[in-house]
Amino acid sequence: MVATTVDIFTSLWSIFSTLGVLVGVVVMAYMVYLIVRNRAKPEGPEPEDAPKPGELPREQKGAKKLLISVILSASIVLTLISLTFIALDNLDRPPAGAMEVKVIAFQWGWKFIYPNGYESIGELRIPRGTPVKLYVTSQDVFHNMGIISLRLKVDAIPGKTNIAWTRVYETGVYDIRCFELCGDGHGVMIGKLVVMDPEEFNSWYSSLQVS
Amino acid sequence: MDSHQLPPSYSIKRWLLTTNHKDVGILYLVTSLYFLILGGVLALIFRLQLAQPGLNILSPPAFNQAVTIHGLVMVLFVVSPLAFALANYVVPLQIGARDLAFPRLNALSYWLYLFGGLLVMISFFQDRTLDVGWTLYQPLTSVFSPYVGVNTGGLGLALLTASVTVSTVNFVVTIFRSRAKGLRLTALPMFTVGVLLTVLMMLYAFPALLAGIILLASDRILGTVYFTSPQGGAILWDHIFWFFGHPEVYIVLFPALGVFGDILVTFSRRPLFARRIIIAAMVVVATLSFLVWGHHMFLTGMHPDVRRAFTVTTIAISLPFDAIILSFIYTLAKARIELKTPMLFVLGSIAIFIIGGITGVFLGSIALDYVLRGTYFVVAHFHYTMAGGALVGLIAGVYYWYPKMTGRMFSEKLGRIHFILTMIGFNTLYFPFFLSWEMPRRVPIYVESLVPLQQIATVGGFIFGASFLVMFWNLLYSLRYGEPAGSNPWGAHTLEWMTESPPPPHNFDGTPTFVDGKLSFIAANGAAHGEPETHLSRWPFMLSLASFLALLGLTTHLLVSVVGVGLLAFSVLGLAGERFISREEDLGERWPFERVDRMKLAWWTFISSEVVLFGVILSAYVYVRTASSTWPAPGTLLDIGHGAVNTFILLTSSLTVVLALASSRMGSRTCTAGFLAATLGLGILFLFNKYNEWSELFSHGITFSSGLPASTFFLTTGIHGAHVFAGLLALGYLFARALKGAYVGKGHETLEYFGYYWHFVDIVWVFIFPLFYLV
Repeated sequence: MVATTVDIFTSLWSIFSTLGVLVGVVVMAYMVYLIVRNRAKPEGPEPEDAPKPGELPREQKGAKKLLISVILSASIVLTLISLTFIALDNLDRPPAGAMEVKVIAFQWGWKFIYPNGYESIGELRIPRGTPVKLYVTSQDVFHNMGIISLRLKVDAIPGKTNIAWTRVYETGVYDIRCFELCGDGHGVMIGKLVVMDPEEFNSWYSSLQVS
Repeated sequence: MDSHQLPPSYSIKRWLLTTNHKDVGILYLVTSLYFLILGGVLALIFRLQLAQPGLNILSPPAFNQAVTIHGLVMVLFVVSPLAFALANYVVPLQIGARDLAFPRLNALSYWLYLFGGLLVMISFFQDRTLDVGWTLYQPLTSVFSPYVGVNTGGLGLALLTASVTVSTVNFVVTIFRSRAKGLRLTALPMFTVGVLLTVLMMLYAFPALLAGIILLASDRILGTVYFTSPQGGAILWDHIFWFFGHPEVYIVLFPALGVFGDILVTFSRRPLFARRIIIAAMVVVATLSFLVWGHHMFLTGMHPDVRRAFTVTTIAISLPFDAIILSFIYTLAKARIELKTPMLFVLGSIAIFIIGGITGVFLGSIALDYVLRGTYFVVAHFHYTMAGGALVGLIAGVYYWYPKMTGRMFSEKLGRIHFILTMIGFNTLYFPFFLSWEMPRRVPIYVESLVPLQQIATVGGFIFGASFLVMFWNLLYSLRYGEPAGSNPWGAHTLEWMTESPPPPHNFDGTPTFVDGKLSFIAANGAAHGEPETHLSRWPFMLSLASFLALLGLTTHLLVSVVGVGLLAFSVLGLAGERFISREEDLGERWPFERVDRMKLAWWTFISSEVVLFGVILSAYVYVRTASSTWPAPGTLLDIGHGAVNTFILLTSSLTVVLALASSRMGSRTCTAGFLAATLGLGILFLFNKYNEWSELFSHGITFSSGLPASTFFLTTGIHGAHVFAGLLALGYLFARALKGAYVGKGHETLEYFGYYWHFVDIVWVFIFPLFYLV
C-alpha cells in the first residue's frame, strides 16, 4: 500500500516523541540527581567560589561542557529538520489520479463540490483507496478544515484556495471539524467524511442528478 | 515635595500621586494579581463547562468571550505587568539608581495599564466583549463580530500598548544611563539583563500590535477594507499579528529567565554556569524572535520555501534555549542547594519549561504542525511555557523579593504547600491537554472518549487555582505577622540586598559604586544638591483618566469623549508646566551612551519604535498592493500636484526648525520665535492642503471604503497627518514659550528634541510621497 497522510504523520510523530521523551527524561533526571546530591546539609561547607554580598557576578567556566551539549542538541535538531523536510515533500505532492473536490467553508458548515458539479452540505463521500485532492476556501471568515483521525488539516481562508490531499484504505465515517475559532457556531461546525466501498461509491456518484 | 515627605502608606493620596519606582512596583504587583484572579476565574468557569461535552454553563458566545478574555488578560494584563512589577521595584535597586530615569512617565505607564484593563472589563457589560480569540483573526474581527464591546476592548488594548511604549522607553534609558559606576552591561544581575532584553523586544514588537489595532479599528469604525478584501485579509493580519505575537512569547518569558538566574545563584551558593554564554544566547533568541513568526502560518498556503525557512529558524531557536537551560542546570553541580520556597519555584518552573520547550520543537516541524495546529497540544505547549515557565517563574520572584519589599519574611511552610499544590495542580491541569491532542481548541463540544482527560484537567484547574489562595493568604498574613527580614535574608550578592528592607525612598545612603570591582558607597554630600527630588505628581493619573474617558466616549456617549479630550489637554499642559525635580545620578556607567543625555536617548528610543509603527503600516500598503492585480496608475486617483506641494512644504518646515534651533543657540529670541512660527505656519499649510485633497476625493465619491487604493491612502496619510497635528500642538506650546524668551541661552535642547520628532515625521512623508503618488 502507498503511504497515506496518516502514515507520514505517524512515522514522524513517533520519532519526535521518542526523542522528545528521551531528552526530557535525561535532562530532568540529571537535574533531580544534582538537586538530591547537592542539597544543603547543615554541616556542609560553603562552596569555595560562593558569591559574597556586594560582589560583581562571576561565572563558572564551562564553555566546553556547554559546547558539547549544544552540539549534541544541534545534531538531534538537524535530524529532525531533515526528517520534517522529507515528510513535507511527500505531503506537498499528492499522488496522481486524485479525485478533486472543492470545499467551501462557511459560518458554520462545509459545502463540497464534486468534479461533476454536484454540491452537498455537511457530508463528503469518497471512494476507498482513491487519492482525494481538496481545494479548500472559505466564503466568510478564517476556518480550518481538520479530519484529525486522518491527520489532515488545512486552512480555509476567504479569497484563497489551499490544497490538501488524503487517501483512505478503510471504509467508515470520519469527523470533519473546524480548528480555527470562527464565531458562535465554531464548536458545532462538524461535517462528515464518508469513505465508501468503490463500487457503492460509483453507483451513488453516477446516479447523482446534476443540474 | 521632599522625598521624606511621601504621605504614609495608608494614605490614598500616596498611591494616586506617587512616582517612586517602588510604590509603582507595588501598584503593578497588586493590579496584575487582581487581573490574575479575573483571568483565572474565567478559566475555571470554562473548565467547568468542559467537564462534560453537553453542559450548558456558558452559551457558545459566552464561551468564546471567556476564552478570548482569559487569553488576552493573562498574556497582556497579568504576566507582563507582573514582570514589570518586579522590574519596577528591583531594577533600579539592582543597578544602584535612585529611581527610574523618568519617574512621572513610570507612573503614567501604570495608570495607562490600569485604565486599559478597565476598558476591557467595561466591555463585558456592553453587548459583547471580544469574542474572537486573543489572536483577533480576520476577517472575523473586522466585520463578523459587530459588537460595541469589541471596540471598547480593542481600545483597551490600544491604551495598554501606549503604556508599554512609555515604560519601554523609560527602562531602556534607565538601564543604559543610571547604572552604578563600574557596573558594566555584562555585569548586570541576570534579572536586569532579562528586563533589558525584554524591553528592547517590546520596543519593536508592540508598535506592530499598535499598527494592527489601528488598521483593525479603522476597518471596523471608518470602513476601510484592509482585512475585508482578500488581497489583504486574513493573511495580512497573520503577518502583522505574529510579527508581534512571537516576540511577545519571549517578552513574557525573559523576565522569568532573569529571575531564574538570580535565584539559582543565591540558593545554590555558586556563580552562574557560563554566565556570558547565557547572556549571548538570550541576545540571539531576542533577535531570532523577530524571524520566526511564520510558523504560526504554516497551513495558510505559504510558499514551500518560505515554510522551510521558518521551520529552520523556529527549530534553530531551540539551540540557544538549550544553552540557557543547560547552563542553569549545570550551575547546580557542586553547589550547596538550599531548597527554600523561591528556589523550589524556580526548579519546578524550569522542569515545566523543559517540557514546554521540547513540545515547541514538535510545533516547529511543519509536517507535525499540520496535524497539531489548533489542537489542545498547542494549548498544552504554550501553558507549559507561558504559565509554567513565565508565570510560575515570576511567582518565584515574588517570593524572593517579598522580604525586600515588605521587610518581613513570609511563612516558609505555606510557601512549600503552595509549591506542592502548584506542581500537582499545574500538571494535572495541563498534562492531559497533551494527551487530548486530537481535540480542537476553543470548542465547548467534544467526543466522549476525551471526557476522562478533560475532567482530570478540570480538577487540576481547581487545585492550581486554589494554590494561589495559599499564596495570597501567606503574603497578606506575613505583611503583618512575618518575622523581620533584615536587609539580606537570603545571603544574596546583588545590590538590591545591600540596603534596608524596605529601602528608603532614595534607595541607598550614599552612592553605590563598583569602581574597584567591589561595592562601596560614596558618602552622600547633601549640600551639593540644591533642592530635594520630587516623588509626587497628579498628572500621570489625570492624563490616564483623561485618555480613558476620551476612548470610553467613543463607544458610549461622545460627551464623555469631549470631557476626556478637555481633561487631556489640561493634563498635558499641567504635566509640561509642573516643577518636577528628578536628577540623573552624577556618577554612572553609561556605555555606550556616555555622550547622549537621557532626554535625547529617550527621544531616539521612542522614534525607533515609531519607525516600526510606520514600517508596518507602509508594509501593509506594499503587501496589499503587490497582492492586487490592478492598481490605479499614478496621477489618476491622486493628484500628484497636491503631494508635490506638501513635500515641498514639509521639507521647508524641517529647515525652519533647524533655523529655530540655531537662533536659540545664538540667543536671538525674536528669530527663535519667528522660525517656530514659520514652522507652525508651514505645518498648518500642510494640513490645509491635505484637507483640500481629502475633500476633493470625498466630493468625487471616493471614501475610506472605496477599495484598497483609497483605504490605504486615507489610513496612511491620516496617521501621518495625526503625527503632524500632534507636532503642531507641541509647536504651539513651544512658540508661546519662545515669545516669553524660553530656549534662549539655556533650554534649547527642548527644541532639538522636538526637531528629531519633526524631522522623523518629514522623513516618513518622503517615503509616503513616492509610494503613493509616483509609483
